[in-house]
Amino acid sequence: MNLARSTPALLAALALLGPPSARALDAAALAKAVAEIDERQRNQGDWKALCYMEQKEKGKTDVVYELLVYRRDEDDKQMFLFTKPKSEAGKGYLRIEKNLWLYDPSTGRWERRTERERIGGTNTRRGDLDESRIVEEYDAKWEADEKLGVYEVHRILLTAKPGVDVAFPVVRLWVDAPTTNVLKRQELALSGRLMRTVYQPRWRKIFSPSKGADVWYPEEIRIYDEIEKGNSTLILIKEIDLRALEANLFTKAWLESKSR
Amino acid sequence: MLAVDLQIAARNLASHRRRNLFLGGALAAVTGLLVLLGALTAGMEAAMTESATTLLTGHVNVGGFFKITSGSAAPLVSDFPKVVEAVEKDVPELDYLTVRGRGWAKAVSPSTSMDLVLAGVEVGREPAFEKVLRITEGRLADLAQPDTVLLFEGQAERLEVRVNDVVTLSAPTARGVNNTADVRVAAIARNVGLLSAFSAFIEADTLRRLYGLNRTTTGAVHLFLRDPRDAPEVASRLRARLGEAGWRVMDPEAQPYWMKLMQTVPSEDWTGQKLDVTTADDEMGQFKQFIFALRAVTVLLGIILMLVVVIGILNALAIAIRERTREIGTLRAIGMQRWKVLWLILLETAMLGIAGTVSGALGATAVALGLNAWGIALPESAQIFLAQERLTFLLDPAAVLLYVLVLTAITVVASVFPARRAARLRPITAMHHIG
Repeated sequence: MNLARSTPALLAALALLGPPSARALDAAALAKAVAEIDERQRNQGDWKALCYMEQKEKGKTDVVYELLVYRRDEDDKQMFLFTKPKSEAGKGYLRIEKNLWLYDPSTGRWERRTERERIGGTNTRRGDLDESRIVEEYDAKWEADEKLGVYEVHRILLTAKPGVDVAFPVVRLWVDAPTTNVLKRQELALSGRLMRTVYQPRWRKIFSPSKGADVWYPEEIRIYDEIEKGNSTLILIKEIDLRALEANLFTKAWLESKSR
Repeated sequence: MLAVDLQIAARNLASHRRRNLFLGGALAAVTGLLVLLGALTAGMEAAMTESATTLLTGHVNVGGFFKITSGSAAPLVSDFPKVVEAVEKDVPELDYLTVRGRGWAKAVSPSTSMDLVLAGVEVGREPAFEKVLRITEGRLADLAQPDTVLLFEGQAERLEVRVNDVVTLSAPTARGVNNTADVRVAAIARNVGLLSAFSAFIEADTLRRLYGLNRTTTGAVHLFLRDPRDAPEVASRLRARLGEAGWRVMDPEAQPYWMKLMQTVPSEDWTGQKLDVTTADDEMGQFKQFIFALRAVTVLLGIILMLVVVIGILNALAIAIRERTREIGTLRAIGMQRWKVLWLILLETAMLGIAGTVSGALGATAVALGLNAWGIALPESAQIFLAQERLTFLLDPAAVLLYVLVLTAITVVASVFPARRAARLRPITAMHHIG
């Protein structure tokens, strides 16, 4: 599959839904829009999803991973459990109290990792599989209203708040004006160099009993490495389950037990 | 008297030419092999030390770690001018010192990428560079310009870049934020052993910008001493003096800094700055282990060879003495004392030993010098094991002399038993001996 060619086509297909025209955002409207981006993705309960990650790297064979993603919003925990390929099965990440830990079943060791960790060696970061936390992590600035393909979008520049541990200090968002779904994201290094461009062309919603409203999530995430051109990652999020998870799920012992 | 004995021994040796040539040849081969093995090990060690002291370490280093939280660590020395001041005051043995940033980054070229260990340098303050680095493309002085990098040939080949091409370095800052720097390749140097496979030099302030550091922060202060053998004593003194001056100093541990950074330091429960004083031997821990293993193999091989030699000598001398039983009996019958027989046989063996080992050592020296002059280029896979780009033998005259003396001594000792047997023969029994 050629990601570069298919992404604009997907955006164009979504455009047929007929977006109304975008307009400039003042400070209050910007704050409201940013808060809405977070709010639409917030679940306020437990979350389980089956994910696929396809990593394409220049000169290497494409690799596809299958993993289960668990989230508990109540105490801000997150866990990934790799299930395929067989060589990666049992490997996992656990985020407890803002610390990200990696478990490798081949050595039986836990290692502490940062927000810059490339999940499973792909170009995916932990935050890509988390709900949006813009208000908490970034200061937003409206840059322009423009067209992204046929979409009317707000272009918003996000700068990391001091002391907050994020993978990218500067992020530029293209937010669909009528829905506030984030369609495109550019992530920049401290030097201003573009590092990743992320497209989220397909958004889905699911009713959350704990929230009492719909939760929106990008069903498909396409990540392009802007430093090592030609490398890309495709993430598909499937089979969302919002039922309450076991109480002892987000523990090192539980993750270790999955590879025994 | 000794001259007469020597003459008799020499005549005896000459009269059994074929046997003695065989025995002497075996001694020469063993000596030559040991000399070559020792010279190869010494060459490897010298190449490793040279590349390490150029690329990674001084004779003594004042490095350290800064921990913003107890679970994270960066190889930093903050406020390093004060450290330099203290070092200059407390180390009279100092020849010169350099200040280098320490880092790691992913280097990305238009075609590919690789991981690099970076040293941020002020090239004007690196007098050893001119001596050790052989620039094959570009100019070393250009590394003084901002946003420049010096790569080694292997790295340039792998990244498919040449001088003036641009490489992007990508790394998290000391505070953990993704950052990049676009750097121009200022020069390409010939590889200097194993370490140049992954170490590169970058202009000091460019490294600071990449890591978000201020101008008074660096990675380590490298001290080069007039006599490198003073390093352990200087390191020990510096630890004490820096501690007395108020710095928190880590306990000595013979590990390279990057192993501490990845393994021990992040798991320690402290935050802020700690200094770490190390010697070149500490920083070269794993390479030293490799050299030690190589030396152990050389010694083992030497012992096996010597065992073979001893057995060979015992056998050859036993046969020789058996052949000369009647001759010895005649000598005893005309009045030669037992001790004199023993002395003559030992003298013969000593002369044979000296002739064999000296000729072996001379032959090996000629081979080593010839191969050095030839400059045989090693394939890349062999370079990693031998830590050399070209096959180089380092001949140490003291070591060669030691091999000659030890092997000669072993030959003489090995001949004591058969010589004693010969000396104990009764003249009448010896003269009746048929064989």
